[in-house]
Amino acid sequence: MNTYLNEVNSGFFYLLVAAVLTFITLMCVVFLVKSYKAGIEIGMDKQVLKKAIVSSATFTLLPSISILLGVIALSGTLGVPFSWLRLSVIGALQYELNVAEIAAQSMGLPSLRLDLLNTEYFVTIALVMTFGILGGVFCCIFFLKKYLGKMQAKPKKAETENTESKPGFGAYATTAMFVGLCASYIGSYIGKVFAPGDGDWMPLVVAAIAGLCMAVFEYFTQKKNMKVLDNFSLAASMLIAMAMAVVIQLVI
Amino acid sequence: MKDKQIFMEEFSSKLHRLGRITLVLSVIFLVALPFVVGALFGVSPDFKAFLSGFAKVGVIYIPVAIVEFLVYTPMLGVGGSYLSFITGNVTNMKIPCVMNSKEIAGTVDGTPEHEIISTISVATSAIVTTLVIAVGVVLMVPLQPVLQNPVLLPAFNNVVPALFGALGLKYFMKSPQIAVLPLALMTSLYILVPSLISQTSLMLLPSGALALGIGFFLFKKGKLK
Repeated sequence: MNTYLNEVNSGFFYLLVAAVLTFITLMCVVFLVKSYKAGIEIGMDKQVLKKAIVSSATFTLLPSISILLGVIALSGTLGVPFSWLRLSVIGALQYELNVAEIAAQSMGLPSLRLDLLNTEYFVTIALVMTFGILGGVFCCIFFLKKYLGKMQAKPKKAETENTESKPGFGAYATTAMFVGLCASYIGSYIGKVFAPGDGDWMPLVVAAIAGLCMAVFEYFTQKKNMKVLDNFSLAASMLIAMAMAVVIQLVI
Repeated sequence: MKDKQIFMEEFSSKLHRLGRITLVLSVIFLVALPFVVGALFGVSPDFKAFLSGFAKVGVIYIPVAIVEFLVYTPMLGVGGSYLSFITGNVTNMKIPCVMNSKEIAGTVDGTPEHEIISTISVATSAIVTTLVIAVGVVLMVPLQPVLQNPVLLPAFNNVVPALFGALGLKYFMKSPQIAVLPLALMTSLYILVPSLISQTSLMLLPSGALALGIGFFLFKKGKLK
């Protein structure tokens, strides 16, 4: 192992990252406990709260494993501790390598290549990656209270006027926004099939299989009233589709 | 029990204070880390290169961060927003996770119940992710050959299509009249301008705005159930 890799994988660095992650995880635990207690206080059903915890945990499990794979991919050049930190907080798998590459090129490197890196390059790259992704955090620190106050002002007024009235557009807005988000991703998978060169059809096939599995789950939860499947429908659909990707790759 | 609305206002106020303090501390820790590591090995960041790199990264990610803040925080609520923006993976994990919990719990946006469910959902998701990655890091050395086995590569390369395929079916079935136009338009754009495929994270914004506009139009016409 070269000096650079020894330094970015040093035990002290592991301890620093573990300390930061412990702090942020404790923050999550505090928010979780406070919200759970507040839910009980306002009369929410404990079962519903527990269901939210269980479904969120199961939902997160599979994507977390894929993030772990991202840590492995990133650790080859930036070391394990920093990759662990980046993909545990703020960062997202699809952005990290892109930002690291931009940072490496801004220092005159042709790309993020292990044989060219040293610890001085590393601390600069780390700083660019950290500052570049803090925009949302600063927005929350400075503007969240005011912004959500404004957003919540209107529904509150409507609620006091007539509690039985039809919900406002806000109730549909998130669904609409999410439909748009899915449309963009799925559109890109269709686009990949027609992309110049060898079109990549695997994402579309995987998305279609996942959609098909979800349709089966929806049938059982909606038509056969097997609501318990709701907790697992997404993770199971994803897992089946991902497994099929392996099978397809082996067959062709 | 106090009046629900007053209780929630006090609760939100406490979450804002706690969220701000913990986010400021987190930022200090995160920014300090490269300097501490540099000091340990006798190097410091190249500030000229930092400014150059930050300018390029900032042009892409600061507007995205602002738009994500404006669009997603109403879905996430107070606690969910603070936690989501410090723990990351907002679009690909936290938002779908909240939508999933919302669906299961049957809560409506903007209500105290949704605020509670959203925060619980994001906190649980963040804790699980941190634990999975921490365990994975500990096991990384023996696990690496298995996880990096090329046979499994197609599965993990396609985790995002698997996610959006399943969610897409669910949401398109829910609101087909909203979905048709954004899906047709986005698909046409990606086919006609293939370079946009690598900009999917930016294209989410016009697609979402279009769906939002169609949803609003249909809502005004009374055609949304």
